[in-house]
Amino acid sequence: MLTLAEAPAYFERYREIIPDFERFLEHLKEPLPLYFRLNELKCPDPEIVIRGLARQGARAEPVERVPNFYRVEPRTFPLGNTEEYYLGYIYPMTLNSSLPVIALDPQPGEVILDMCAAPGSKTTQIAQVTGDQAVIVANDRRLDRLTALVANLKRLGIACAMTTLYRGEEFPHGVPFDKVLVDAPCSGEGRYRQGYEGELLYQKEGRTNLPAIQKGLLVRAFDLVRVGGIVVYSTCTINPDENEMVVDYLLRKRQGRIIECHYPQPHHPGLTEWEGKILHPDLKKAARFFPHETDSVGFFVAKIERLM
Amino acid sequence: MAKKARRKRIHQQAVWPRTTSLEEREAVLSFWEERFGIPKETFDPYLLLATAKNYWLFVKPPDLKALQGLRVQTTGLLFTRKVSRWLKPTSTALQRFGHLATKNVVQLSPAELDRLRRERKISYEAPLEEGYVVISCEGKVWGCGLYTPGKLISYLP
Ligand SMILES: C[S@@+](CC[C@H](N)C(=O)[O-])C[C@H]1O[C@@H](n2cnc3c(N)ncnc32)[C@H](O)[C@@H]1O
Repeated sequence: MLTLAEAPAYFERYREIIPDFERFLEHLKEPLPLYFRLNELKCPDPEIVIRGLARQGARAEPVERVPNFYRVEPRTFPLGNTEEYYLGYIYPMTLNSSLPVIALDPQPGEVILDMCAAPGSKTTQIAQVTGDQAVIVANDRRLDRLTALVANLKRLGIACAMTTLYRGEEFPHGVPFDKVLVDAPCSGEGRYRQGYEGELLYQKEGRTNLPAIQKGLLVRAFDLVRVGGIVVYSTCTINPDENEMVVDYLLRKRQGRIIECHYPQPHHPGLTEWEGKILHPDLKKAARFFPHETDSVGFFVAKIERLM
Repeated sequence: MAKKARRKRIHQQAVWPRTTSLEEREAVLSFWEERFGIPKETFDPYLLLATAKNYWLFVKPPDLKALQGLRVQTTGLLFTRKVSRWLKPTSTALQRFGHLATKNVVQLSPAELDRLRRERKISYEAPLEEGYVVISCEGKVWGCGLYTPGKLISYLP
C-alpha cells in the first residue's frame, strides 16, 4: 500500500523524466475525472443517453477531440448503476485508455488479436470503430477476467469478437494477424492518485517480474503478426523498465520499426536513454502521456511495424 | 470443483460451433424478416453459427479455417435460440437489431416496463400477432417478450 504521503519518495526516481514534476505530485491529490465511451452500435441517438443521465442528476459533455467520449459530472456518479449502462449504450473508461486503439487504427476486415483483453474496454472500442467488422480474437489468461470480458461483449452487442483463454506468451501460431494489441499487465503507476492509493499492482509482491512477462508477451505478439503488420504495445505505467526497455528488447531481437502516431492528447517522446543505458533511437517515436497534462491515467504507447 | 463450475458457465462452446447451411441460415433469417420486418440483408456481413440449442452471429473472417485452430471460449453474439420447434430471438440480439423492426414492437411506458420487469407477466391488449415481440420504451429497445391475446410475458434478462 502506497499512501499519498509516500508518493513523492516513490516517484522521485522519475523526477528527470516527468515534466513539471512538482505539478505532477500536486495533481495526484485530485481525483480522476469520469468519462464514458458511447456505443453507437447500440445507442440509436446520443441524446437518449445525455437526457437519460441528466434526469438522474449527471451532466455528460462530449470530449471534442476524442470521438464518442463524454466527460461526466459529478465524477462520483455511479454510471455502472444506470439503465444506459445496463443496455450497453455506454462503457465507462478513462480518456487516455482510448489511445492504444487510436494507435492501432483498426479497419473493417482486419484480423486483430487483443492479447490481454479483459475486461474489454479496448476490444469493444476496436469493434465499435470498425462498425463490428474487424475480426477480433480477444484473449486473456485469467478466466475470471475473461468472464467479465464476455459479459461486456454481450452488453455492448458485439458480434465480431471471439474469446480465448491462453497465456499470451503461448498463444498458438497459425492465424496470420494483421494487427496485435498488447495492453500489458503492468504496475499501474499512471493510475496512481488520490482514491487509487495502494493500487500499484505487484509492486510490493516483489516476486512477479513484470518486465520479463511483458517482454515475453511483446515478442510473441510480434511473431504472431504478419510481415508488414502492426503491434501496439501499451501500459498505464510510468516505469521505463516496463515501457521503453521492453520495446528496446524487442527491437534488438527482431526486425521492426516504431511508427509515429497522431494523438488527440498532449504527449512526450519515448525515452532513448534510461539509467545510463542508450536505447533504440526509434523509441523517440513512442509516446508518453502524463496524468497532470491529460487529466487522466498516465499511459505509454508504441506502434511497431513488423519489417521481416 | 468451484472452478470447474465457473469454467462451465463461460465455456459455452468447447469446440467451434458449426457454420449453418444456406438452408438453415435462410430459415433463421426468414423468421426475423417475417416476424419483425428486419430484412435478411441486415445480416449479410455475418456468419451464422450453430451450437446445440443456439445460433450465433459472427463476423465473416477472411480465413475461418485458421481461426478454427484456436481453442475458443465464445464466438460472436447470441442471436436466436431453438426452443422445441420454435425459434426465439434473444434479448441480446434484439437490443442490438430491434430498432430496425417494423412490426410486432411493443411500446411501453416507463411505468409499464417497470411492472413487466418486476412481475414478469402483465395484462396487455394490442393489435399484435401472437408470438415474440420487441419490447421498447422511450426509444430504447429492452429485449424480448411474448405476446398472447391480453397478456405480455417478459423474457428480459
Ligand atoms: C491492463 S489489463 C488489460 C485491460 C484491457 N486491455 C482493457 O482495455 O479492458 C492486463 C490484462 O492482462 C492479463 N494478463 C496478465 N498476464 C497475462 C498473460 N501472460 N497472457 C495474457 N493475458 C495476461 C490480465 O489478466 C489483465 O486482464
